Amino acid sequence: MDRGHSEVSEWRRYATAAFIVLWLGIQIVVPLLQKFELPTFRYRWARYSWAMFSRLGPRYEVTLFRTRGAGDPEPVPEIGRYVRGYRSPEPMSMTAAYWSEDEVHDRFSRLVTYLARERRDGYTYVASIHWIRYQRVDVPPRVEFRAKAAP
Amino acid sequence: MSTCPLVWSFVPRPRRSPGKADDGGSWFAPIPAYRLATFRVALAVTTLVFHVPKFNGLIEGYVSSTFHVPRALPWIPPLTRIEGAAFVVLQYVASAGLLLGLAPRVCAWFLAAVGFYVIALDPEHYAHNAQFHLTLLALIGCSNDRVPLLRLLRGEDSGDRCPAWPERLVRIQLSIVFFYAALDKIFSPYWGLSGALLASLAVADHGGWLAGLQRASQVVIHAFAGPMSVMTIAIEVFLAVAFLFRPLWPAGVVAGFVFVVYLEFLVRPGVFTWDTLASLIMLVPANDRSWTVIYDPECVSSRRKRTTLVRLDWLRRLQWVPTGDARGVETRPMTAGDDGLRLVNPRGRVYRGLEALRVLPVLLPGPVFVIMALARFGGGFLAARGYGPWDDLPFLMLGGLFVLWILTWQGYASSTAAVRRGP
Repeated sequence: MDRGHSEVSEWRRYATAAFIVLWLGIQIVVPLLQKFELPTFRYRWARYSWAMFSRLGPRYEVTLFRTRGAGDPEPVPEIGRYVRGYRSPEPMSMTAAYWSEDEVHDRFSRLVTYLARERRDGYTYVASIHWIRYQRVDVPPRVEFRAKAAP
Repeated sequence: MSTCPLVWSFVPRPRRSPGKADDGGSWFAPIPAYRLATFRVALAVTTLVFHVPKFNGLIEGYVSSTFHVPRALPWIPPLTRIEGAAFVVLQYVASAGLLLGLAPRVCAWFLAAVGFYVIALDPEHYAHNAQFHLTLLALIGCSNDRVPLLRLLRGEDSGDRCPAWPERLVRIQLSIVFFYAALDKIFSPYWGLSGALLASLAVADHGGWLAGLQRASQVVIHAFAGPMSVMTIAIEVFLAVAFLFRPLWPAGVVAGFVFVVYLEFLVRPGVFTWDTLASLIMLVPANDRSWTVIYDPECVSSRRKRTTLVRLDWLRRLQWVPTGDARGVETRPMTAGDDGLRLVNPRGRVYRGLEALRVLPVLLPGPVFVIMALARFGGGFLAARGYGPWDDLPFLMLGGLFVLWILTWQGYASSTAAVRRGP
């Protein structure tokens, strides 16, 4: 009985030790590899690396609207149904606190494509992004994504 | 009889309980469970008042939107409306379970798993403070304290023990977080020696005299951006080292407390401060009964204070001795200045009245944390609804405590000078 008990506790001890080693390994190695990309070991800001307050989150304004031909911008109907909290056509001030400029571009490019596919009303759906400050130097100050909906 | 507020007694250090915090040995050595249980309660409070409302908001936003970007982990299933509603309810249930100590491991792992899942659904759900909170929840999920809140409130040592390793992991985790935060600042082109980022950080608005203090802080930051930048890195490196080495724990607790409270009130509020403050509980002594409280069993007020303080002594630091008990500690009858009880520190120094009151928060960090967190997030709730700057309430409470320290320090200085001068 005692022997059985001691075998179980020994087994649990090894399992716990393995868990501790795994936990610490992940907690130490993952942020390190995120910060210093291999094989150059060059520093980069990375999301999952405890990089608190060490980067200025790029600020931008995004305007979502739709237009037909050369007409004036119109609000996207029911924009809150597609993305809760978004407005149209008023500009929305945002900060890319934990994500990159490319991720912002990708998000809004996908959004207008999705809107055009869902609406099918012949309008062109537009996301106009105005980078205000702290963005990468190679990012143009204004970026626009358009997607034309099928009539 | 002198009514000097301070009396020094050269008495032997009180015998420590055999169940004192003994984690100097093996990672698997059984240690008193009260520190981990106190940490669990503190973390459960921030989970209930901040984390769960925030994550439930993210869940509601996700399920009520039809557009989604690809998930960070493509293999995880998308969240449906029914699952979302279930998570919203279950998160509250789990955080209540964590607080009360009912199946705390299951509750902690559930909260951590749901949180990481929600973060993985959309990169915009990510925040460092959320990751830190979820990591701490996962570590609480590893703990085996088995001390429900009710037993914690009873104040007696019921012999609860747990393995030392979860506590150690929390301390190492804290060290890792501060180490990488410092490392990032060293290499970041925005931080470094220039202090450009520090000077351009947007600060939260506060009302009243806290706004004045904040302006003064901003003036100092702008005038000495470089040195402040270097000092921030140095503090973070120091904290990372201090959390690992026991002799540095007292300094680490003080530096960590001042640093994160400064961030919370004078830079930008957030849950990171509160999670760090909760984690600092891992660095304070527990179950040592090294402070003696002398009370008068014949006095109603004294007995009432004892009943209250026993319930707040979650870390089991206080030993109760009635007046007249012959244990070698300071046992004179109570005087008016004692205010019903006297507090004797491990070196025999006696604190009475207001002085005892200012020392108590240091000995009762768990309940003090809970009160401050409720004041902060409850105040934030009221402030967000236009009822005034209630989010400054905990700062006012801290300010009051600071004033108490100053007042009693003057009393201490004058009485010490009087003792030095002699009769």
